[in-house]
Amino acid sequence: MSFKHNLGLAASVLALSLSYPLAASADPDAGEYKIGFIAEATGPLAAAGVSFLHGAELAVEQINAGGSAGQGVTLVLEEKESGSDAARSVQALTQFAADRKVLAVACCILSPVAGAVQPVATNQKVPLVIYGATKPGLPKLPYVSSIVVLPGPQEIAMTQKIVETLKPKTVTYFVNADNDGFQGRFKAAQKVMEDAGVATGGVVSILSADTDFTAGATQAIATNPDLIMVWTTQTPAGGIIAALRSRGYTGNISASDVISPAPMFKKIGEPLAGIPFPISFAADMATGDVAKAFSTAFQTKYNENPDTYAAQGYTAMLYIAQGMKSLSGAPTRDTLAEAMSSITAIEPNIYGGLAMIEGQAKVDQSLIANWTKDGMIAAWEGK
Amino acid sequence: MQLFVEQLVNGVALGSLYALFGIGFGLVFSTLGILNAAHGTYASWAAIIGYYVVEWYGVPFPAAILCGVFGGGILAILVDQLGFQPLRSKRAGMLGALITSIGFWIILDSLAGFATGQQSLAFPASSYPNAMIEIGSIRISQIQLIIICSLLVCTLAIHLLIQRSAIGAAMRAVGWNDLAAGLSGVNSRIVILLTAFLAGATSGLAGVLGGIATSNVSFTLGEGLMLKGFAAVVVGGFNDVRGTAIAGIMLGIIEVFVAQYISTAFRDGVTYTLLLAFLIMRPRGLFGTANFVRA
Repeated sequence: MSFKHNLGLAASVLALSLSYPLAASADPDAGEYKIGFIAEATGPLAAAGVSFLHGAELAVEQINAGGSAGQGVTLVLEEKESGSDAARSVQALTQFAADRKVLAVACCILSPVAGAVQPVATNQKVPLVIYGATKPGLPKLPYVSSIVVLPGPQEIAMTQKIVETLKPKTVTYFVNADNDGFQGRFKAAQKVMEDAGVATGGVVSILSADTDFTAGATQAIATNPDLIMVWTTQTPAGGIIAALRSRGYTGNISASDVISPAPMFKKIGEPLAGIPFPISFAADMATGDVAKAFSTAFQTKYNENPDTYAAQGYTAMLYIAQGMKSLSGAPTRDTLAEAMSSITAIEPNIYGGLAMIEGQAKVDQSLIANWTKDGMIAAWEGK
Repeated sequence: MQLFVEQLVNGVALGSLYALFGIGFGLVFSTLGILNAAHGTYASWAAIIGYYVVEWYGVPFPAAILCGVFGGGILAILVDQLGFQPLRSKRAGMLGALITSIGFWIILDSLAGFATGQQSLAFPASSYPNAMIEIGSIRISQIQLIIICSLLVCTLAIHLLIQRSAIGAAMRAVGWNDLAAGLSGVNSRIVILLTAFLAGATSGLAGVLGGIATSNVSFTLGEGLMLKGFAAVVVGGFNDVRGTAIAGIMLGIIEVFVAQYISTAFRDGVTYTLLLAFLIMRPRGLFGTANFVRA
């Protein structure tokens, strides 16, 4: 381990330790406790999956170094790969459930996968922390909770700001025809627009597996909109924006946080600049001590800035550690589940406030950001 | 009208990719008798090779295409010699080759995932011709034009090679009966290597051009081409590249028009219903000969 890495780790551990609430409690019994992590580091969502996993790994390293889960408590992150496949995810959870040393499991980027795993966790009475899926209604206390900030309120706030700032008269939408989550997000944005008197120029449907968006871009441009909103999964979103710009569309575009990870800018480049998207965490815009320390430690460990997915993987582990810390004696799955379900705010956190309501995370601050031409994430100024 | 024509051009360009890919697929089937499930990975790997030579060495566009095409061809030869040649020498039949090719598909796909860091990459915009050409009120991108021209050149060249040259006659002879061809003095080993290379190279060309046009260089690239390329071969007729070219273009146009005028949700359903209907009416495909049997 390099000096630079040690220094980064020490700084972030200090920031974490100072941020923990000073509630007096008897720590759980010292020892090693396993946390299962159902990873999606291969398969269609591998790019995001690797980020989630890295965030969780860093968190566990810091938690163990700082005793954040209790004095003498060591969390061991045990990973099983699912490739974003529901059957493999359920299989992984079942295997974790069979290992009594596993106290809790973190899982799932895709909502359908989380939906498949959720009842199994409840039946098996394994505490399950959802780290990526955005469908509302997934938490089921005391066993299933979600640290994912639901995108709805942020996206509605962004859409309202776009209406006020850009004053579009017509909007054309790109949407995944095969993704319920994005269908819902598109409809929510469309409602905000139409309530504000903004007409729908057209709706261009695409499929998640599509890679050629030339025809879709031609179709959207032909509607002559003032704004094009892209409500699709990550790879299509990048392809759509690249196709729109390469076909000469110079008008306004907006997107969701799927375009926020650094590899997206590396891939698409300047065409992403200036496109607003809502985001809960961006390393370039981090303000609080915990967020800054997290960014520094992540940069040191992985030689890249953490993205919003890494932040969620990190938060999932902090949440579990907070639950562990509140226990005394020998922790069990039941006591940990009860402890986590009684948490009303994850502390410390990197979001500047992260409430837990009925097992569902809710962020206080919402950022509207965009990529700059030189590849930084900055606050969107509405230009 | 302008939208209709632009979408027609988009459909032709998309279909040209399917056809380019399908030509190699059909070549392997008609000459070597292998339904090669790993064929899509040649396209993925060609695109990955093309991407990295641009990224690491900054080579110009034609050189990147050549590297990808050559890489696809060499990979096809490797797969053939490592996987299919031992089966061929034991006369193991089509099923064994199909299962072997599925194994190669999974292995090469996984390796492609690691080669790209499980990311979807894209060629830098400055590394290929990406301007728009305006013909009256119709706009067409340079890369679309290159794709369409590539298909025309490849179709013509491979058609002439197979139908008018001694090598082509040897390929057809091996495709018909390799033992008899060997007894007649044809070096079937060389023909097999050449066929595998040609198939991998055309698939590689589709992969590099597709990777550029769609800003998607990843292990999923070949999978996307595989089903459509296969459909183009089936509709076109296994043993005639002209049929594959026409069928590929038709598929592209149908896809784009269904998405534009009906719905994306029905796109694949409509496309494959038409495919099924066509096969019921003309099972040997557009240009396929009635007595062509391979299974």
